[in-house]
Amino acid sequence: MFIIPKEKEVPLGCVTPAPVTEQPMMITGNWREYRPVLEPEKCDLCMNCIVFCPDACFQLDEAGEMVVLNEKYCKGCNICINECATDALSKAYELDFEDGVVRLEKPF
Amino acid sequence: MTVAVRTQNLPPIKLIRNVPKEEYYVPGHRTCAGCGPALQYKLVAKAAGPNTIFLGPTGCMYVANASYLCTPYTVPWMHTQITNGGAVASGIEAAYKVLLRKGKRTGELPNIIVMAGDGGTVDIGLQAMSAMMYRAHDALFICYDNEAYTNTGIQTSPTTPYGANTTFTPPGSAIPEGKTLFPKDPPQLVIGGHPAVKYVATASVAYPVDLINKVRKALNVQGPTFLHIHAPCPKGWKFDEAKTVEIARLAIETGMWNMYEWENGEYRYQFKPKKYKPVREYMKLQGRFAHLSEAHIAKQQAFVDAKLKAHGIPVEVPVPPPRAQQ
Amino acid sequence: MAREMMLSGCAAAAQAAKMAQVEVICSYPIRPYSAIMMELAKMVANGELDAEFVHGEGEHAQLSVVLGAAAAGARALTGSSGVGVTYAFETYSPIAGGRIPLQMMIADRALDPPGDFGSEHTDAMSCRDQGWLMGWAETPQEVFDNCLINYRVGEDHRVLLPQFVCQDGYFVSHIQGKVVLPDQSQVDEFLPPYALPHPLDPKRPVSHGPQIRPDQGTVMDLQRAQAMLDTPAVIKEAIDDYNRIFGRKISPFLEEYMTEDAEIAFFIMGAHTMTARHAVKHLRDQGVKIGLVKLRFVRPWPTQEVAEALSKFKAVGVVETSTSYGGAMRGGNLLHEVRASLYEVPQRPLTTSFMAGLGGEMVPLKDFYYMADILSKAVKDGKTKKTVYWVGFEAED
Repeated sequence: MFIIPKEKEVPLGCVTPAPVTEQPMMITGNWREYRPVLEPEKCDLCMNCIVFCPDACFQLDEAGEMVVLNEKYCKGCNICINECATDALSKAYELDFEDGVVRLEKPF
Repeated sequence: MTVAVRTQNLPPIKLIRNVPKEEYYVPGHRTCAGCGPALQYKLVAKAAGPNTIFLGPTGCMYVANASYLCTPYTVPWMHTQITNGGAVASGIEAAYKVLLRKGKRTGELPNIIVMAGDGGTVDIGLQAMSAMMYRAHDALFICYDNEAYTNTGIQTSPTTPYGANTTFTPPGSAIPEGKTLFPKDPPQLVIGGHPAVKYVATASVAYPVDLINKVRKALNVQGPTFLHIHAPCPKGWKFDEAKTVEIARLAIETGMWNMYEWENGEYRYQFKPKKYKPVREYMKLQGRFAHLSEAHIAKQQAFVDAKLKAHGIPVEVPVPPPRAQQ
Repeated sequence: MAREMMLSGCAAAAQAAKMAQVEVICSYPIRPYSAIMMELAKMVANGELDAEFVHGEGEHAQLSVVLGAAAAGARALTGSSGVGVTYAFETYSPIAGGRIPLQMMIADRALDPPGDFGSEHTDAMSCRDQGWLMGWAETPQEVFDNCLINYRVGEDHRVLLPQFVCQDGYFVSHIQGKVVLPDQSQVDEFLPPYALPHPLDPKRPVSHGPQIRPDQGTVMDLQRAQAMLDTPAVIKEAIDDYNRIFGRKISPFLEEYMTEDAEIAFFIMGAHTMTARHAVKHLRDQGVKIGLVKLRFVRPWPTQEVAEALSKFKAVGVVETSTSYGGAMRGGNLLHEVRASLYEVPQRPLTTSFMAGLGGEMVPLKDFYYMADILSKAVKDGKTKKTVYWVGFEAED
């Protein structure tokens, strides 16, 4: 019999479970240098940020009244800022935020 | 022998606010910030919905999405070789036909979508793509075109534009423009000679509503369909990653990318500018063209002008002369 | 009702596929295996077999199509010969490593260069280390048997490996032999329906084959290595069942012929075994203490069984119909594995390789007499003169 160290395990045939709402094995929020910041009063719910984010990081909140950023995954590409129809989004330096994240160690 | 009947009818959407909210390509993938192919994948997955099987030939949309031991696809997905996306999809379709017929599976035939890069579509994957189109499999072949073999570190592919700097076409004193060849035209390859294909379209991340509608139309058509989606690559084309959608828009405005549908022999065009901007406007924003001279840009313009004159019809392309004569 | 028919190896393979109720078939023409596909095409066209018959655009595509079909949950079949087998090579590891059982019928053909329609085992043998089951048939009946047995073993959840079912081109594929076709109910009892653990199904989404880190590579490889360790037990079970259900006496890995008090023996697989049997019988009539051991499975290689069977003899001639250029013995592939199997045996027989039948050449009785002569001389001398003889081309003797 073989002993497989836990961190090296691979499922049979390399068939892995499909994610449901997010893929927590690839957190990307610690990539960004700049975080998009919303001024809600300027937002007219044009949906551009939601539609144009390659990482699906902007979503409508429960009430459908405001767009919310998924900070866990936002890579800070700033497409949303570029495409916002009403200039409601601007970029701010990530480490200026109290909860600003930065990747300190290599991911793998 | 009856064929499985497609009863699916995915409705078109009118406005950007009608874009379906459910995500089938979820956050948590290792694609570059601002990745054009990732954006189109998200939109395609939304358009297709849950009754879908994706095939991922090797490329950025495999490696970057699937590192390591995890993927962002909530629907079934399988890796294929870069050579055989069309062939594996054909096998899945054939299996579903017989399994549905025998009652071993129930419901509609799933959407079977090959998500291949330009190399996996018209270079190493050309044979398999063409055969899938020829054999009339009820499946969709999508070419996400970021105009190079980007996953391997940006090398030229048959859709890389003339004059692009890639690691296999670096500009130098002997070869000043870098890439000397003009690109293949993937939709034309399909339209030209596959009698079973009833619908071919181009799309772009610049126009998400149009993209979603074309995906749904292609999936609703019974038989093989082909979509060519422009997906700018900030890393490969060397532009600021915030500008991915902007660059895609400019490609259309300059004629470097043409938006059309071909259905049963008829062409329909979308987003045709009244007056095209010069290609220079598009090229100057991208580092891959930074080394080009006026003469090279003029060659690019001539190519685009000729292509625009007769939409979709193969254009007279200058054959690069032997180097000694230049 | 079981019935007896005269069938070629190709026709027998088609009958087996039909009785196994194969669901997706992918064809591409190349001599000599194409005859299998021509038979199956007829069966599908006239409604005898309810399957999707896909015209692949090449051999690489054939394997890719059946990979997709099997991954979606259908029993799938393809096949090829010669350079077609090697053209598809890219796909063999992904299929085996992805643990997607499917079957490839190989009717052997010599590899280019140049064109040569004759049979040689090199085409399949060069793919033997990818994690597929692999074995040869001597007769059309064995082709039929091996098809069904391989589906059963390969699809067993303890194995989950694809299978190369091989037969010599022309000698087996195109020459008729007696085949007893069983009742469909017997086949249904032996072979359960295809059931993959994780098929591609929107009702149960999975991701097949995401990228792994290099330090996970060994773990991936170990999966197939473990499967090969577990397979022999499944083979024994399957063949026990086969014998019981179909009233046969097949021995799982090796078949011994006239080996009881033999001093020398041929170790052989495939079509030429038939001629070798006759040679052994004639030599026995002349008092030569000779026997024959036939190999069924090249993968998994029956190491223990080979060691036990061959250690009985003083000299063994390994009859090879494949090449391993630059290999340790400068001959074929089988001798390497035979010697490896015998390494631990305290009383090892002398072994030598006889390269015979390459390119599809006939191997007549007199060639076997020549080989037997060399083996007898070796026993007398207590050593072999050479480790490899290219039969019919050696300068001396």
